[in-house]
Amino acid sequence: MSRKPYQPSMPANWWLKHPAYRFYMLREATVLPLLFFIGSLLYGLYCLSQGEASWLGWLNWMQQPWVMALNALALLASLFHAFTFFRLFPQVMPLRLGGRTLPASWMVAGQWLGVLLVFLALWWLLGGYHGSN
Amino acid sequence: MKQPDSIPSDKQHLSMTVQRYRPEQDDAPVWQSYQVPYDDSTSVLDALHWIKEQQDSSLAYRWSCRMAICGSCGVMVDGTPKLGCKTFLRDYPKGLKVAALANFPIEKDLIVDMNQFLHHLTALKPYLIGQPSSASEPNRQSPEQVKRYQQFANCINCGLCYSACPQFGLNPEFLGPAAIALAHRYNLDSRDQGKAERQPALNSKNGVWSCTFVGFCSTVCPKGVDPAAAINQGKIVSTMDGVIQWFSPKQLDTTPQEPTS
Repeated sequence: MSRKPYQPSMPANWWLKHPAYRFYMLREATVLPLLFFIGSLLYGLYCLSQGEASWLGWLNWMQQPWVMALNALALLASLFHAFTFFRLFPQVMPLRLGGRTLPASWMVAGQWLGVLLVFLALWWLLGGYHGSN
Repeated sequence: MKQPDSIPSDKQHLSMTVQRYRPEQDDAPVWQSYQVPYDDSTSVLDALHWIKEQQDSSLAYRWSCRMAICGSCGVMVDGTPKLGCKTFLRDYPKGLKVAALANFPIEKDLIVDMNQFLHHLTALKPYLIGQPSSASEPNRQSPEQVKRYQQFANCINCGLCYSACPQFGLNPEFLGPAAIALAHRYNLDSRDQGKAERQPALNSKNGVWSCTFVGFCSTVCPKGVDPAAAINQGKIVSTMDGVIQWFSPKQLDTTPQEPTS
């Protein structure tokens, strides 16, 4: 008897077909607003090299509502990406101490603690700047 | 013990829509609905048995153990890869759609051709290599050494992870979750010395680097193997292997030798 296997194909919109794939694509799409944020920063560096007027122009540009909205979105996107990344980290690099694997929840908590410390350090640095004025 | 054909028909029913593909008459799969009686203990596999015995003897599907150890009865339930014996109708009160495992060619109805997966599995040599066989000496292994690979040894080759993996769907040459997880399992085994034989395939384009950590393979695994962890730990192993190769004597041998006389 001859065979006639049916060969399934992946449609271009396969990533819309299941919540797990949509979550994955959302995670990957966080790069898009972050690209805008990086672009803004590079534009700022360029303006800084062009003199004071150019720098003040960049500061004004950054304060436009749509730019602030996109950069706020970039912040949310990076926090969401961090959330997914921190959760995957214990799977990729399980830490072993004294023959025992560290619980994944500890590693996730440790990473968020790191974020908090960096945030507090920045807060202190920027607060110090404003305080001296 | 309750047998599938003993499901009384006075029980509550739900609609189970099953994907059919009859190669002698169909060019593509079609859907067929059945009203299936169920109670709290009716699994998808029980319901398939009931359909085959009571309604449609032409329905084709695979099964064997009914207790999530043989890995035969994998199907898509509402688009998610599941074992038919481990999935219960009580969790789908509004009805459910049962299809053949995604990403594999369909032979008939719910039966797929898993040769691609088995081919990949064989290529990665999932067995102990370099183990001196000695009947008089037991091969000792400490509980800690067993723990390192035990989780990845629970794979039952059901193929659900391949159906969950879009990278395998897009590129069937990708060695895929279960095969790489088993390669990792043997690479982690203190009794094994076959890593050098497995690593070229794992390092290749269709090895660990084809994985983008969608992670759905680990979600659907019915045995908690976590193949996504194995593959991504394998990326670290592959990187280390690459670094070691740069400094390997084989590379140094190609440099011109100083005359000894």
